[in-house]
Amino acid sequence: MLSMTMEKVKQATLPKEKEVREGSSLLARKQALTFEDVNIYYGTHQAVKNVSFSIPERAITALIGPSGCGKSTFLRSINRMNDTIAGARSTGVIQYDDVNLLGQEINTAALRKEIGMVFQKPNLFAKSIYQNMIHALKFHGITGKDELMYTVEECLRKAALWEEVKDRLHQSALSLSGGQQQRLCIARALALKPNILLLDEPCSALDPISNSKIEDLMIELKEEFTILIVTHNMHQASRISDQTAFFLDGILVEYSETNQLFTNPLKKETEDYITGRFG
Amino acid sequence: MNSRQRDQLATLVFYSIAAGITALLFGLIGYMLYQGFPKLTLDFLTSPSSSFKAGGGIGSQLFNSFYILVLTMLFTIPLGLGGGIYMAEYARDNKLTSTIRTCIEVLASLPSIVIGMFGLLVFVNLTGWGYTMIGGALALTVFNLPVMVRVCEDALRSVPREQKEASLALGLTHWHSIKTVLLPAAFPGILTGAILASGRVFGEAASLLFTAGITTPTLDFGNWNPFDSVSPLNIFRPAETLAVHIWSVNTQGLIPDVRAVADGSAAVLILAVLVFNLLARWIGSLLHKKITAQA
Repeated sequence: MLSMTMEKVKQATLPKEKEVREGSSLLARKQALTFEDVNIYYGTHQAVKNVSFSIPERAITALIGPSGCGKSTFLRSINRMNDTIAGARSTGVIQYDDVNLLGQEINTAALRKEIGMVFQKPNLFAKSIYQNMIHALKFHGITGKDELMYTVEECLRKAALWEEVKDRLHQSALSLSGGQQQRLCIARALALKPNILLLDEPCSALDPISNSKIEDLMIELKEEFTILIVTHNMHQASRISDQTAFFLDGILVEYSETNQLFTNPLKKETEDYITGRFG
Repeated sequence: MNSRQRDQLATLVFYSIAAGITALLFGLIGYMLYQGFPKLTLDFLTSPSSSFKAGGGIGSQLFNSFYILVLTMLFTIPLGLGGGIYMAEYARDNKLTSTIRTCIEVLASLPSIVIGMFGLLVFVNLTGWGYTMIGGALALTVFNLPVMVRVCEDALRSVPREQKEASLALGLTHWHSIKTVLLPAAFPGILTGAILASGRVFGEAASLLFTAGITTPTLDFGNWNPFDSVSPLNIFRPAETLAVHIWSVNTQGLIPDVRAVADGSAAVLILAVLVFNLLARWIGSLLHKKITAQA
């Protein structure tokens, strides 16, 4: 079983040529995740169809496409959040280091510690800011008070939130504004020192100022983390991402460097979408 | 009649219904308190009941009621929580779980006298214990468990899905997410369920008649050895509760002051339930505020 998977992975390390242009720097960099023939079904409905490509590490990859095109479903398959949905099923290979993330033997708790996720709506716990930050740390075995406090401050600083909350760490996290809550969600994910951050439309519920703060934050964070962001905001994708993947009806239509995709798309569907002819 | 008048009429109707219900409730409680109030002396609350002479109290019955309540909740809360967690988080949607669900609903509407007969068969005769406090508590657990399971399941299900996803996405296991995220978020709902269940326990008579019995041995409130037969803490002794006492003095009491004792007991029962509810809610909200960091 495992050897068969490895065979597949070897064939699959690079995206198919038709989806990536020759000479693209995408091919030169180290890949953080490689997808090979990923199919995702909800019952009998197929939400993602035969998606194969790979994303480089320490860069921002944006997944764009109209509502219902499967981009969020695809993102959620990476950290196996689809496991919690009855009837959802994934096939194919998602290669991360030397393991297939879709394998049965994967310990999803350990996986989600390395691949963090931030959701569309801030989903803080009804606890204090501090408790939100250390909630998962304590579970993962970090219990020393000084160590916890150090991590909390470090991650809140990284999320550009420390100055705003340092005097109210023990107040309810739900007393923060929407933008602050979302940055706290990012800080909470960073506290686990993940390698990859998955962001599922993190700005869609935020005002423009909070939005631009989070965009600045992501550009800083890509120095350290591999970031995958799902967005239906094409301007956001073009502002912050290094490469962009365009999904339509569960199919990966085009994947290339962001400025190429937006200025000179290969496919007609991509052009129609980015020029606003549909979606 | 135009639509504006119809709207005003609807408002009037619903206000009158609410006023009617409130008046009925206050009237009932007020009447009971008014009738029972003269009996509410320290002596009445603490002295043992008498069999023939006037002037008996309800000391042991009051104690029995609280003790049986604590025992019942000791069984009901963990079992109810366990069942609720299973139904909300682990049970798949299939024939088995829908059968379980139907059983729970049927059990929840079982008349309490039937549970009393079941208790008589199982906890009194089969075990050979005779009429005991523990038998009564177990019968009440059977009586309350379905409701408790249902309440816990509903409370857990009403926690937003995002909360669970947030916890799972941080690499916490399912059980740890239930323990540290879902249960605290469901706490107010579970507490309300537990309080309602406690009220039912406190006021329940029918299922206790044949299980905990309608007598209480003379208790020595200086003896706290739970294995001693005259100790109040002994769980293997007959234990007439306050609600059962109201029934028994009314139907077979030989004392001349039956009416006064019954009135006083009813008032105490209502006040005790009220005080218990208020206390439980107050402690619950303190706990909840502490967990959720609301100042």
